[in-house]
Amino acid sequence: MPRFHPLQVTEVRRETRDAVAVTLQPSKDDRAAFAFTQGQYLTFRRMFDGEELRRSYSICAGLDEGVLRVGIKRVDGGCFSTWANEELRPGDTLEAMPPMGAFFTPLEPEKAKHYLGFAGGSGITPVLSLIKTTLARENKSQFTLVYANRHVSSIMFREELEDLKSLYLRRFSMLHILESEAQEIDLFTGRLDAEKCAALFRGWIDVKSADAAFICGPEPMMLAVAAALREHGVRDDQIKFELFASSQPGRARRKVPSAEHSDRHATCEATVTLDGVTRSFTFPKHGQSLLEAAIENRMDAPFACKAGVCSTCRAKVLEGEVEMEANHALEDYEVRQGYVLTCQSHPLSDRIAVSYDE
Amino acid sequence: MSDTMPIEEYLAEGGVLTSPDNAPPRYRAELLRLMASFVDSELAGSAGFADIINDAPGISERIAAARIVMEKADHARQVLKVMGTFGADTARYAVHHPWSDRLARDADIGAERRGGDMRLSVLHYPLHGWTDAVVMNVLMGKAVVIQLKELAQVSYQPLAGIFRAILPREAHHAELGVEGLKRIVVTEEGRGAAREATAYWHPRVAASFGRSGSLRFEMLARLGLRHTPNEALLSEWRAAVDAELSALNMN
Repeated sequence: MPRFHPLQVTEVRRETRDAVAVTLQPSKDDRAAFAFTQGQYLTFRRMFDGEELRRSYSICAGLDEGVLRVGIKRVDGGCFSTWANEELRPGDTLEAMPPMGAFFTPLEPEKAKHYLGFAGGSGITPVLSLIKTTLARENKSQFTLVYANRHVSSIMFREELEDLKSLYLRRFSMLHILESEAQEIDLFTGRLDAEKCAALFRGWIDVKSADAAFICGPEPMMLAVAAALREHGVRDDQIKFELFASSQPGRARRKVPSAEHSDRHATCEATVTLDGVTRSFTFPKHGQSLLEAAIENRMDAPFACKAGVCSTCRAKVLEGEVEMEANHALEDYEVRQGYVLTCQSHPLSDRIAVSYDE
Repeated sequence: MSDTMPIEEYLAEGGVLTSPDNAPPRYRAELLRLMASFVDSELAGSAGFADIINDAPGISERIAAARIVMEKADHARQVLKVMGTFGADTARYAVHHPWSDRLARDADIGAERRGGDMRLSVLHYPLHGWTDAVVMNVLMGKAVVIQLKELAQVSYQPLAGIFRAILPREAHHAELGVEGLKRIVVTEEGRGAAREATAYWHPRVAASFGRSGSLRFEMLARLGLRHTPNEALLSEWRAAVDAELSALNMN
């Protein structure tokens, strides 16, 4: 299981009003663990009011820059991103897991390839890493970036991108699409949707010559761009996606402790929620797992190994207490939040409320 | 570009997920189930073939069987690694079932799964010697190729990439089976034994495609985890197998 390592913050650079680029330094021993591939991300953890939150942010640095840097855009109501934008300072320590993700294609320095990148808002972060790395490592390849934003002021990494344009005059081209700002060419105003893609692919971008396309941005943009690329003959295995879950889950809901002296019976009254439907049933505290009881009560509860190793049957206890026979799949912080493996769970209290939907 | 949409809608429209963080609960569970079924089937298939290596009639057959044993285990490992990113204990998972266990030859379990063992039902039946194993590999190999083409479209990008990479190697396993079968049917005796084995395995492999009109299919399709209904995949398999067997004069 991947471990968390401390990273020292060496720089917090403001990119836009609500985004920062954070440079991080692993300890000497951890340097190898944090060697990344372009387009990957880091998962951070931090305690907020006694509760652990984990968030992933993409690396924006190229392989040859010799630094580890991530972009963090503030999300409305997002605990971690707000804290990083307002309070994080050089000298602070952040805990992160080694880089993960597969938003890249293998580098082939001897080849001349054409890459397309489509970024929306902070979706530029991993794409920037891709652009820097491929242009530096594959010196015959070209990169075309379509970058969608609301306004000029919300463009992240604007200066860096302009510098890249001057550095790779013939090999890097960039089109800014701005939603609410008029530009000289009408085509570059509005949203990056199906219609916009169709127009761009008619005259501005040669999709036929593309070897691979990278898309990172909000869901509707990803769908529209992918559909337009497929229409122009791009195969699924040539399209790489990176989705930033737009709905950042808020704080985990706290478990309601069971009332005193409520655990006297041999049976338990369970309320189980699955796919938005809640059902109640009574089952023995011993001899049958919560999963088996749910299935016996005609609920289509998910499971696979039934041995506590695969975590398919994970659910959250919202009320009451259960005990797990074995747990080889949930981490301590998940258990603290109330998650259980239902194939291994037996009730301790007379009443439990459990949800598979959280 | 801050306009977004619910993840369920995004998936229903063909959207792709890229990390465990993106996966809503039902999606997570169904994806893990799908991966568990694949891993269990590969490990059980590999384990079943391991015993057959010593029945091989020649050196190239021996190499072919050993390659199948090795590569199916490797395919299981690759998918198990993705399960690990969702929290599964991969080391424990790989040994949590006795993968070489088989039921009786005449047991009748239909398309049923056994307890927490998610292998396809056909992999619960024992192989009886070389010819039987080759025939099973021909029929099942064709099924695996069709099912993998379906799985290569799953909406979870890290998994789709693995299935796409595995597909040519699994297709090669099926080809090795056909090569083996060609050598068997040169004698009348071999042809007879192969026909008998076909009669045994054909309905059991067919059952592994699942029920037609499955309600689960609808749910999985909305999540982008399935695209072509069971019955369509089954008829594609029937046609492919018919063509192969006719070419070998086995029908």
